[in-house]
Amino acid sequence: MVRGVPRWLKALTWVFVALTLVFVLGPLIVVAGVSVSESQFIAFPPAGFSLRWFGAIFESNAYVGALVTSLQLAVLVTLTATVIGAGAAITLHRRRLPGTGILAGLFLSPLILPSIIFAIGLLMLWSASVGPVSLPVLWIGHTVIALPYVIRTTLAVLADSDPFLEEAARTMGASRWQRIRHVVLPQCAPGLAAGAFFAFNISFDEAVVALFLRTPDLVTLPIQIYNQLEFSPDPTVAAVSTLMMGLTILLIAVIDRFLGIQRFVGT
Amino acid sequence: MRDRIEDIALAGPGILLLALAFVLPLVEMLRLSIVGADGGVTAEHFVRFLSDPYYLGVVWRTIYLSLLITIICAAVGFPLAYVMARVSPQLRLWLIVLIILPLMTSVVVRTFGWMVVLGRGGLIPFSLWKLGFVGRNFTLMHTEAAIVIGMVQVLLPFTALSILGVVMKIDRRLEEAARTMGASFLATLRSVVLPLAMPGILAGSLLAFTLSVSSFVTPSLLGGVRLPVVASSIYDAATKTLEWNFAAAQSVILLIGVLLALTPYIRLSGRRHG
Repeated sequence: MVRGVPRWLKALTWVFVALTLVFVLGPLIVVAGVSVSESQFIAFPPAGFSLRWFGAIFESNAYVGALVTSLQLAVLVTLTATVIGAGAAITLHRRRLPGTGILAGLFLSPLILPSIIFAIGLLMLWSASVGPVSLPVLWIGHTVIALPYVIRTTLAVLADSDPFLEEAARTMGASRWQRIRHVVLPQCAPGLAAGAFFAFNISFDEAVVALFLRTPDLVTLPIQIYNQLEFSPDPTVAAVSTLMMGLTILLIAVIDRFLGIQRFVGT
Repeated sequence: MRDRIEDIALAGPGILLLALAFVLPLVEMLRLSIVGADGGVTAEHFVRFLSDPYYLGVVWRTIYLSLLITIICAAVGFPLAYVMARVSPQLRLWLIVLIILPLMTSVVVRTFGWMVVLGRGGLIPFSLWKLGFVGRNFTLMHTEAAIVIGMVQVLLPFTALSILGVVMKIDRRLEEAARTMGASFLATLRSVVLPLAMPGILAGSLLAFTLSVSSFVTPSLLGGVRLPVVASSIYDAATKTLEWNFAAAQSVILLIGVLLALTPYIRLSGRRHG
């Protein structure tokens, strides 16, 4: 705590923090409120209490189809981003290759390049060289976006690891594969796990690349929500959104267990 | 030598993926932006965009809204980050979780929340009507204010967390020294903390600005078709009117703007780490 702060300023500070939290969390609370309303119009504060909109999601082919697409996609992206990210992070951490700095910049650049620019480039390249858009393009696109998160979480864990363990394994005659399998990967494990959940969350929530690459057969859950918002939002949109928020809360809790959420400050 | 092969093999899939699915798409976009209808090299798409008052208006709206959004995020983000840095670790963890939650929620969900709050009969228009400031049919949807409100909510957690990273590294003893020498709390904040945090505030703001100028979902849903920004203009050209070369040229212009803003960012963050 900081001492000697005037009392009026302290009070003002807490009012400021409370208002800021209301501002950033408000829209999420409103969405959750709308989802349990009995009214068939979007209304907040909610009128009555009912879970019927959650039931309505599973009677809608559009939502169920989008949910299946999103889950498939997120699982695929999680697998590829984690495997590819693990190898990249190990190499970057060792700093043995010439140009490691440039390589690190390349691997992290999808993080700062706006996804709309990447999305349109991917759409144009795929259409020109492969053909009609389908699930694999979205898989590739989301893997590129999720990769930097896996690399960052893994690098964060490796930075605290003991560099001499691998050296010791080498001295004791462990083969190349044994060293990676039994020494390096276990060191990476918490970072990879956190990165994997990040990757899942990013793919499941991503809307820009998915919007550029949408076709009538390729609609993810965020895009289904977007379509509804453009035309006629009803309380089922709120129910789907609430389910997505629930998943996000779950993933944050899991990531915090693996790595500690404090580590992401300043990234 | 064999170690080098191992390193290349480990990073290989990633390098290949980024080369084919990240660098190559950008190259294709650059190529399309200078290809004319006859297949030859041309600057016509750039000329068309930069000479049309309509598109220049779109660029201007994107820039001034983004500047406003960035300034609000930095002005609210710095005190928030300072409070977060100086409270107890448990309280800090809770504040971080509460701020990360909206950051990790899909942007369509957050924007939907604002549509409910700002739309006709929503919380804010309804309250303003009850207070007698506006008419019954008043709505904040499809206004620039809606875009700013929605975007600040999207980018504030991001800005606050990146400033927090810098404030956490400031040596507490510097503040205590200033206080011991008789500076008041506010004077210390202004002459010790703020200057030390400034590189972080600037870096966070530059990143927020690039995210703001290129954001699409929030401005297009909250601003509607009458308030297009650069990203929605690109989206329309790419998916509605199907003028790909024109869409590519607009993307290149956006990319140049983003790179201009990122150059000082890379310098700032490089100095911080090195």
